[in-house]
Amino acid sequence: MVAFLLNDTGVDVAAYETKPLLWVLREDLGVLGPKYGCGMAQCGACRVLIDGESTPSCIVPVGDVAGREVVTVEGLPAADGRLSVVQQAWLDEQVPQCGYCQPGFLIAATALLSQNPRPTDTEIDEAITNICRCGTYPRIRRAIHRAAATLAQG
Amino acid sequence: MTRLLSRRSFLLTGAALGGTALVAAVGGVGYLATVDVDGPDGYIDGDRAVLNAFLTIHDDGRVTIQVPRTEMGQGIHTGLAMVVAEELDIPFDNRITVEFPVELASAYANWSGAMGMRPEEAQGLLAWAGQRAISAIPLIATGGSNSTMSLWHPMRVAGAAARHMLVAAAAARLGVSVAELTTAEGAVRHASTGRSLPYAELARDAAFLAPPDEPALKPRDQWHLIGRAQPRVDLPAKVRGEPVFGADVVLPDMLHATIRQAPVFGASVARIRNEAEVRAEPGVVDVAVVDGRAVAVVADSWWAAETAAWRLDIEWTGAEGTAVSSADLRNRVRAALDVPEPYPTLEEGDVEAAITASPDRVLEATYEVPFLTHACMEPMNATVLIRPDGTAESWMPSQSPTFLRSGVMTGAEWAGVELGEVTCHVTINGGAFGRRSEPDVPAQAAFLAARHPGRPVKLLWPREEDIGRGMFRSAAAGRMRAALGPDGLPLAFDALVAAQSLTLSVATRRLPFAPSPDGDFLSVEGLDKAHYALPARRVRSVHVPSHLPIAFWRSNGYSFGTFFTESFVDECAHAAGQDPLAYRRALLRDSPRHLAVLDRVAALAEWDRPLRPGTEGAARGRGIALEQCYESVVAQVAEVSVAADGAVRVDRVLCAVDVGTVVNPDAVAAQMEGGIVWGLTAALMSTLTLEDGAVVESNFHDYPVQRLHNAPEIQVEIVTSDLPPGGAGEPGNVPTAAAVANAIFAGTGRRLRTLPLTQVETIGERRTRTVLPAAEEA
Repeated sequence: MVAFLLNDTGVDVAAYETKPLLWVLREDLGVLGPKYGCGMAQCGACRVLIDGESTPSCIVPVGDVAGREVVTVEGLPAADGRLSVVQQAWLDEQVPQCGYCQPGFLIAATALLSQNPRPTDTEIDEAITNICRCGTYPRIRRAIHRAAATLAQG
Repeated sequence: MTRLLSRRSFLLTGAALGGTALVAAVGGVGYLATVDVDGPDGYIDGDRAVLNAFLTIHDDGRVTIQVPRTEMGQGIHTGLAMVVAEELDIPFDNRITVEFPVELASAYANWSGAMGMRPEEAQGLLAWAGQRAISAIPLIATGGSNSTMSLWHPMRVAGAAARHMLVAAAAARLGVSVAELTTAEGAVRHASTGRSLPYAELARDAAFLAPPDEPALKPRDQWHLIGRAQPRVDLPAKVRGEPVFGADVVLPDMLHATIRQAPVFGASVARIRNEAEVRAEPGVVDVAVVDGRAVAVVADSWWAAETAAWRLDIEWTGAEGTAVSSADLRNRVRAALDVPEPYPTLEEGDVEAAITASPDRVLEATYEVPFLTHACMEPMNATVLIRPDGTAESWMPSQSPTFLRSGVMTGAEWAGVELGEVTCHVTINGGAFGRRSEPDVPAQAAFLAARHPGRPVKLLWPREEDIGRGMFRSAAAGRMRAALGPDGLPLAFDALVAAQSLTLSVATRRLPFAPSPDGDFLSVEGLDKAHYALPARRVRSVHVPSHLPIAFWRSNGYSFGTFFTESFVDECAHAAGQDPLAYRRALLRDSPRHLAVLDRVAALAEWDRPLRPGTEGAARGRGIALEQCYESVVAQVAEVSVAADGAVRVDRVLCAVDVGTVVNPDAVAAQMEGGIVWGLTAALMSTLTLEDGAVVESNFHDYPVQRLHNAPEIQVEIVTSDLPPGGAGEPGNVPTAAAVANAIFAGTGRRLRTLPLTQVETIGERRTRTVLPAAEEA
């Protein structure tokens, strides 16, 4: 059994401790926002926050998150369902195309802005390494700047 | 469900249709598509009134629009819903739901796309027969950038017809004539009395009324939705991570499967050396040889199946003769350029005579591109349930429920099961780019499902199967020749392409017969340059067989043909000592639509001003390219910096596009942006390598694609046009490689004629840069 905090709710899951967090989330906990894209921490579609750090969940054994806090894209909105600032910026900039990779980008951008509230383009380029085959990168940059501006206004 | 069972022509009676066909047969005239959209009659089902094949109005005022084209990121569910909403006069808000219909109705067939015509312009007996045949299957498919083209008119008609029926229902209810009624904001209004009836209160009556034969369509000047950017209907759920992609399908009692296919295409499974061992792995339910060519592991979770599959020890056989390397295939493609009689697709004027007449002004250049794959973010998957009674149900992020169904039936046949009804659920998908119209994955899933009757089986390929064992864009080579006249413009333009026939490869997997390998119309895309004033032109092709399966790939032949021709036009301009923009302007003297697009992109790029110098001594250059494709015209300018150490960075790409009438401008802009990024991946980064017949690359670490840090600034401008809608999904990536190659030439004087233009160097974790090849490799 592995116990951790998932999107503000305590979970206790019976799974092999070596099973990747991604597959525990998807198969054992029914949390389908994080996606499988490569299985080797290359594409970032599976990214989740682990204690606030953007982490590719496809290579993290679930045993490693025991007692820690995991946030998936489902955990980004406020308790009343309102979109997070980053999600709202994504919507305002009409970022997603197919949308499959976007949960991972939303997580990566959320982590970036929590560490660096006003990132430059260069800092965004350095921090966000996810892959989007639809090519939404220009809008992702714009959305991150928009979210940063919103956060700066408080 | 109180469904009227009769099926009839949606807007015309059979008699009238016969009349149209008769007119067509006798006079070769008459519009067909406007009057012949088969679909269900109106009916009532629970709390909803189905008005026609595309439109349902619920009692609570919600509206469901059936869009029989796959949403794969291009925004088609929004665009076509806008078209219906426009004609229906309803607000475009969250009361609209868009669904991919489950019923395979003939009204949803993409006959016009398959026949390369617009429904509203289709005339004559051939069009009529083609429509009947393709609608009877029905062939429902998303591709060829033709979703808007194929449904723009039918869905306008569907919306207008429904509006007409709602007005008629209101007239009857109110006891007034329809002439006294107007519609707006989802309600019918009677101006003189101020009465207003919401559609929801009329829909049940309207469903049983006859649709008008030819409902008047809203004139352009009254549009309030079409042409105005609307937020996409699918994005609120997508930013929450809520949508169910094919890979997210979860069903009761579902089994999970993974697969290992032959490393060399055409090889078979000789035996599994350790089947018992793999079967004993935790959670494993089944280990099966699929069609003799792959091994699948079925388990109670995908992770259990995949980890067990890691242990598979498979002996493959029968791949002799296909153990070729990339160099072998490249030589084969190059050699094909020298065959004595290539297939002549087009010849206008006398190309050879013009070239012979001015031998000192003849240019020749050879270009090459490698095999590529799609690498859609959502790996290949399909879910199939085969019940003990022989009925089946399937879920797939498919581009075509028709080929989903045929794949399911094929897979069941492998297992010796004859299927009854096959229900197809098309989910949204995580990118497709041509890959997901193939029936291979559902066939594999159905074979596994047939071994486990009553239990759904979800087959998900690991990424490694997708990159190295999937389907490919053909390698190709092009030899271009031109004879320049006294003014420097070409007197003759000669294009020869060698590539594996896409039509042949695609058809082989779908049809019981094989078309001729020669004259593949998809291999010669981008070569004819019909918009350029060229006194003589020729297009020829050679089919180069390989053991690899070739699939539709975003923009197909244009993905190399336009690289060949638009690079070569630049070479001609350089030889003539002319500016590449001015040269193209001269060539477009008879093509005002194209010239307008070219001029717009030049203005965006401020072509008349020098480029800002590069930092730290980097050379800078800009290149331009233009193409006509998918009934649209697109031009791009790429601006590059080339550092002293050869590192190439694309700083900015400007794009102007004329897609005819624009439904949702923001979606068109997004398609151009995404297309440019796709095009840059192909231009600078990706290649598939073969060793002993097998693909070497396996995942994103060795099949690099553009990431955020590689991606340039992009500006898109839409050139407004009143022409009918063209395609937007594919034009965006078509000119990109040529624009970048031309920019590198402008900046460095090096003409690169092979894709990818640069070599990829890893500079950190998930970070790359692209570097010019050493001079002798260029």
